[in-house]
Amino acid sequence: MWDQVGQALNHSMTRMLSQVASLLPGVIALIAALLVSALVAWVLAAILRRSLTSFGFDQRVAQWGFPGLAEWSPLKSPTRLVTRAIGWAVMLVGFLIGLSAFDGPLTSELVVRLLTYLPNVVAAVVVLAAGSLIARFLARSVLIGAVNMNLQYAWLLSAGVKWLVNVLAVAMALEHLAIGGDIIRLAFGILFGGIVLALALAVGLGSKELVSRSLDREVHKTSSQKMQEPVGHL
Amino acid sequence: MELDTSSQPELEELERLAGAELVVGVLGAGAAEEAADSAAMVREGLAGLSKIPRAVLISNNGAHRPAPATPAVPDADQPLAVLSFGLPAPGPADTLQQTRSTAYRRVFTVGGKLGVRACGVIASQPHAATPQWIYRIVQPVIDLGFDLVAPRYTRHKMEGLLNRSVLAPLHRALYGEQLQNPMGPDFGLSGKLLRQVLKEASVPRRRDQNDLMATIASTASRAGFQVCESHLGVLVQQPTDWTNLSSLLAEVLGPVFLELERQAVFWQSVRGSKPVPKFGSPEVVSDDAATLDVRRMIESFHLGIQNLQDVWRLVLPPATLFELVKLSRLPREQFRMPDDLWVRIVYDFALGHRLRTISRDHLLRSITPLYLGWIASYAQEMEKAGAAEVEARIELLARAYEANKSYLVSRWRWPDRFNP
Repeated sequence: MWDQVGQALNHSMTRMLSQVASLLPGVIALIAALLVSALVAWVLAAILRRSLTSFGFDQRVAQWGFPGLAEWSPLKSPTRLVTRAIGWAVMLVGFLIGLSAFDGPLTSELVVRLLTYLPNVVAAVVVLAAGSLIARFLARSVLIGAVNMNLQYAWLLSAGVKWLVNVLAVAMALEHLAIGGDIIRLAFGILFGGIVLALALAVGLGSKELVSRSLDREVHKTSSQKMQEPVGHL
Repeated sequence: MELDTSSQPELEELERLAGAELVVGVLGAGAAEEAADSAAMVREGLAGLSKIPRAVLISNNGAHRPAPATPAVPDADQPLAVLSFGLPAPGPADTLQQTRSTAYRRVFTVGGKLGVRACGVIASQPHAATPQWIYRIVQPVIDLGFDLVAPRYTRHKMEGLLNRSVLAPLHRALYGEQLQNPMGPDFGLSGKLLRQVLKEASVPRRRDQNDLMATIASTASRAGFQVCESHLGVLVQQPTDWTNLSSLLAEVLGPVFLELERQAVFWQSVRGSKPVPKFGSPEVVSDDAATLDVRRMIESFHLGIQNLQDVWRLVLPPATLFELVKLSRLPREQFRMPDDLWVRIVYDFALGHRLRTISRDHLLRSITPLYLGWIASYAQEMEKAGAAEVEARIELLARAYEANKSYLVSRWRWPDRFNP
């Protein structure tokens, strides 16, 4: 009986060792892929960092309307943020290549799913970036216009427009990523509606001021003319 | 620049003329009777010249049409051929500046086609213009050989403020010539200068820009043309549209800053400024007693300080922003914007325009509260001042522009490194 137990143990040991041995090439391939991708990521990041630094990327990012990006970046440098992001993307690709070397159905399916999901991530990033750009541009237009119209609620209007576009962009990005589903739609509807309501109130309050000012001008036309007439610009 | 806006009958008229010595543009809103009045006014104005030139009048013939020109048949007693051509109709969204610029292009193009010796344009107030205006605009060109006659107007102290605060002193500091109205809008030009302006305006990248009026005086200065001024009389101001002040600023300052960028090599070598010869005598206007309520302007300035600092920070250095914040804390009676501060603001905005630090439209519109701050400061300072004191005050501002030119040059050359 003891012989049979010993044989069973031997067989299971052999099976396990052979399974581990069959995994070894995959593990080594994964490690090799990670090492190579790390090297490629490092070289690529170094080249990119040098190019972006000579291009003055950090200053230009602020000029393009993203001064806040520096706050989110490591060492407050958008250049580092970009190079690290690229580096990690290369590492991720290396990891996926290494993972597919196992040649198991599970790992293959995982890799395929991740790769098919990648375009959605890229689209979401593009939507977010475009949304942020448009939000900043519109917010600045509204702010300058409202200040020039002497509206006390200029900042509120501008912030409202900015958040309106940002919320829209985030909702679209999440839709692309297929995250949240109905909850996101519901939350977006509530937030969007809330911002529109806040803006309507702000515009209403601002308009009240404008209307009263214009009525004032009509009623006291003579004194208003005194204020306006003596000034010419060209 | 092509004569692409002319109708076929007008082109035929031009060819039939086989050249003219003078082209005169009277750029009014247009009506048939006005065109006839313009023709009479031009005839009378030119009659005073030592030798009456063969002239072409370009004015609105009432229909804004591409339609046959209306030749006034010259007779034996009147050796003056005045032909009236239509001007293109302004588009529904066109502003005064755009309309003027388009009309200017038309006049210059016709002048270029005809190979004229001189050109005169009355654009400021054609209804109030007199034959004397025509004479004063073209006489120095035709009889005395000047290349550019810029206008000098008699104005109330609170009129022409953009001109007083930015256009004239900026032109003086950059191009070295002391002109009261470097952007006209009434000008007399020699054929040589007209062709030079047309040549420079025909560069493809500049063709679509409505900046012809901003280029005339600077082109004359850069190319060494003879420049003078003529006293034209009282200029009645256009009613101020306060709701569109920022559009006006963007429309006027945009071309000026573009021109500044284009002429950068030239103005960096110019030192000081010189007065130009003046013709005619100034009219005297009584000082208006109406006082200006600056409260709203200062409120506008404060609102800008509260809300637009993030925008200004992209253009103005920290020291200037600090000065502005300090200024906003002064009580209304003591509100005075120092000349150096205002001049540096204008220079920094010109630099920001060149660097495209932010959208150019945003940049130009965001200067509005600062400009209103300057007006409020000027109005309070000049409340009881007479004409001579106002002139002296404007002279001081112009000198501040000259004194701070080194600041502009440094920032222009090293925008990143030089940041006081």
